Amino acid sequence: MCGTCGCGRPDASDGHAAHAHATQTRRVEVERSILAQNDRNAAHLRERLASQGIEAIGLLGGPGAGKTALLEATFARLGDAARHHAVVEGDCASDLDARRIAATGVRATQVATGGVCHLDAHLVDHALERLDLEDVSRLWIENVGNLVCPAPFACGESRRALLISTPEGDDKPTKYPASVAAVDLLVVSKADLLPHVPFDPDRCADAARRIAPDLPVLTVSAHTGAGMREWLRWVETGAL
Amino acid sequence: MHEAKLCLSIVRMAEEVLAREHAAVVHRVELAIGELSGVAPEALEAAFPICASGTPVEGAALDWRLTPGRDLRLSSVEVG
Repeated sequence: MCGTCGCGRPDASDGHAAHAHATQTRRVEVERSILAQNDRNAAHLRERLASQGIEAIGLLGGPGAGKTALLEATFARLGDAARHHAVVEGDCASDLDARRIAATGVRATQVATGGVCHLDAHLVDHALERLDLEDVSRLWIENVGNLVCPAPFACGESRRALLISTPEGDDKPTKYPASVAAVDLLVVSKADLLPHVPFDPDRCADAARRIAPDLPVLTVSAHTGAGMREWLRWVETGAL
Repeated sequence: MHEAKLCLSIVRMAEEVLAREHAAVVHRVELAIGELSGVAPEALEAAFPICASGTPVEGAALDWRLTPGRDLRLSSVEVG
């Protein structure tokens, strides 16, 4: 560190010729979000989708939380109305999830991030170039399975749901508070496994509400259909 | 691992300040990191010198303080 100005450059014992000092040094207030560029991209995308009559919903959760399974169950219940839905799938590699969605008859495109840990508005915008949005009113953005990195990066969604599955444990909200703070609904998934795993739904909801006091919590099973009616209501209206 | 991407944003924003202020060098950038921002300060510290290298921000010190909430802000840039 330079002993004169405290900056990260080596101390310039030659009289500080290498970099300018004290006399001109000034502190410029900025106070701008580092995510401003992505936030702008996301806002533009949100507006463009809205002008096409499309609302996007983001799905967050760890790998294997049941995000794709919840979408499959959602589309199965919607029946013919599912044709108004489309999905952007995010994963580090493969198009396995997009194929699962396509098998339900719903249009889907895959973003394989090549190892990048989250989607952002720019990636989603480009993915939409590959997706026919004719007649679509609901766009799903299933983020890369990850409870940390997707949280700060808006992707053009109007709403976000976070999935925590019962085998993951009811302590997940406490361990990953940034994800809880970034969503509009907490979905406790794989409720059918509750008899087999040490997961207390109340403890999970309490932990989440210590971070986001007004966060609605919904327990569902894509397997048995429990909670799916309330889930579909949230999908349609944004309320449980 | 997204901290490198955030550091590239920080470097770009600091470069903008440098140009606007007609200054020669960036001595220091100061961040406000929200406790719920999902960002690890230590990872930013590790990535920052690498992302700044070869830019006018190279060699600048990185200061940060934790703040409540989710915001991740560039508070100030010290130029000379």
